[in-house]
Amino acid sequence: MVWPQQKSQKPADEEEPACDVIGRPKYAGETNIEESGQSLPVVMDLSHFEKDNSVSCRLASPIPDVCKMEDCCLGIDEAGRGPVLGPMVYGICFCPVSKKEDLKDLQVADSKTLTETERENLFQKLDEARSYVGWALQILSPNTISTSMLQRTKYNLNALSHDTAIGLVQYALASGVQVKEIYVDTVGPAEKYEEKLSQRFPGIEVTVRPKADSLFPIVSAASICAKVARDHVVKGWNFAEVLGDVDKDYGSGYPNDPKTKTWLSKYLDPVFGYPQFVRFSWSTAQTLMDSKAVTVHWDDDEEDGEKAAQRQNNRSMLSYFSAAPGGNIPNQTHQSHRFFTERRLKSLDTL
Amino acid sequence: MATKKKRAPNVENDSWVVVAADSVIDTRTRDRNPSFVRLRNPSTDAASLYMLGSGDVQLYEVKAFEEDFHSWFVGQTVQRDGRLLFVTAMDPLYLILPYLIKSDKEGKFQPVDQIVMDEEFPACSRLLSCTRSLVSLHHITEEKEVGNLKFHRYSQEKTMNWLKKKVERTVVALKKRNISVGEGVKSTTYIRVKSDSDYSEVDYLRYAHGLISDYISEDLSKALLSHLQLPELTSPKETEPPSKKRKLSDKPVEAGEDYTKFNSADFARKPPKKMTAAQKTLAKVDKTGMKPMSSFFSPKVKAEKK
Repeated sequence: MVWPQQKSQKPADEEEPACDVIGRPKYAGETNIEESGQSLPVVMDLSHFEKDNSVSCRLASPIPDVCKMEDCCLGIDEAGRGPVLGPMVYGICFCPVSKKEDLKDLQVADSKTLTETERENLFQKLDEARSYVGWALQILSPNTISTSMLQRTKYNLNALSHDTAIGLVQYALASGVQVKEIYVDTVGPAEKYEEKLSQRFPGIEVTVRPKADSLFPIVSAASICAKVARDHVVKGWNFAEVLGDVDKDYGSGYPNDPKTKTWLSKYLDPVFGYPQFVRFSWSTAQTLMDSKAVTVHWDDDEEDGEKAAQRQNNRSMLSYFSAAPGGNIPNQTHQSHRFFTERRLKSLDTL
Repeated sequence: MATKKKRAPNVENDSWVVVAADSVIDTRTRDRNPSFVRLRNPSTDAASLYMLGSGDVQLYEVKAFEEDFHSWFVGQTVQRDGRLLFVTAMDPLYLILPYLIKSDKEGKFQPVDQIVMDEEFPACSRLLSCTRSLVSLHHITEEKEVGNLKFHRYSQEKTMNWLKKKVERTVVALKKRNISVGEGVKSTTYIRVKSDSDYSEVDYLRYAHGLISDYISEDLSKALLSHLQLPELTSPKETEPPSKKRKLSDKPVEAGEDYTKFNSADFARKPPKKMTAAQKTLAKVDKTGMKPMSSFFSPKVKAEKK
């Protein structure tokens, strides 16, 4: 029942970028930021995602005019690939090739080597450099990740990552950014990914490197945007479920964090499993549900070949085209008319 | 992870999801509740579930829609069986008919309450209180009235005519509901190539006969088929090809070249075992330059001497 609603909202994210772009007027606190000094300013407006955190959502800075005129380089990075909790955030950052050095002067570095405060401050600096630096984010909600990975035709995290990255580059191109160079931290084998992206964007020089976030400042900048967004989203997660006062002490969200494990055990519902905050497709979540929640059987569950054949009575494919399937009532030779078998209707002898 | 899920045994339900006619719960006339009863199914001769309307005035059959992998959310609870029960009105004559046929062997006119008796299903006598039972008995029996008492004897001829009418009415219903009756179409979800007008009257008759046959004995069904002047169909099973390739011989295949060890008597081809995910990943590991585990257990002496 919930799905149609969510689906109807999804196209809005993808097809009408105009309404996704969080323009400057929205975070109106610049003077306040300078006044407040030490305390962390709210630098990113995430209200658009927080309104419905079950879907994929795009946030973006305004496009600097200079990026539309000059050749630009673009960095791609992601945050929150491994955790069992919270969204995965993809970020792109772009600036004119001529301004690469200016970016270095901002001393953006790989987001993993920085403390949270340092990241916030760096994001602040990027924001101040808005005359030549632009960014865009795609927040993939944990629900999106779960449903992608667990749907009938499996859509794995790598494919999801690649497609999200491609979508963001497309967004930049569609917004008029003169992208000439792309730098990406690799997901999967670097050569394959590089080939895929090069083919997708002919005329753009694509560089896929492991550890790209520490090699290229533009990738570091993208990683900071992504990480800051993820931190904020996770901290202020709006639970769609009625859970009362939710214990927000879920640690890092990584599967090996004891706090995360404790939290997962605490919020396991025997019927529904977890809130949408949890990535159901993670083996951590699945193992816990397998052992502690009610068993749920799906149509496409993998069964042992033998068992599946037994269940289906090992009938030949051809039999489906001739005789009406009988055997609904095992101990009887009697076959119901196909009117009933086709409609899966049968008589009962007890309730 | 793809673990083996064990199916918990089906726990008995104390509630069901039922689709029923309004008349089922209409208790205005009598103050008794409708009840589920087990009665003899005329087609299978075994027990089937039926429902008798309030005060036994109306008979309903109970059919269940049942498919794998379904469950219900009912209010704030989960119901494990995804069954949907249908309670639909039914002509009680179908259930009375087998008793009449059975008593016909005695060839006598009898009061109907002596005929409709069953030690196994004592509830069958309640069928006679249905509003339609006694008034429509004349469709399938010859009647004699002595004083205030009515006596009945089964009539094959009347029954055939009655069933024929049922088939004809079913044909009308089938046409009205656009039910696909052609032999070529087996799935109702299929998009039909043939339009309805392409089905012959025989297709409809045969389908309706099959449907009615679910409510009468096999003998009666055969008799009805000839009464409708429909030729008997050869069993569809005979036309079904064997489900598996037949082995030509049980002997192992003799190889042209010398693969003797595979042909030795005690060699049995084992089916390739499915590997677990962990084993699969292990199998992919680059093992160049690694000693096999077994080498650690074999005598080292010779290797050391060389």
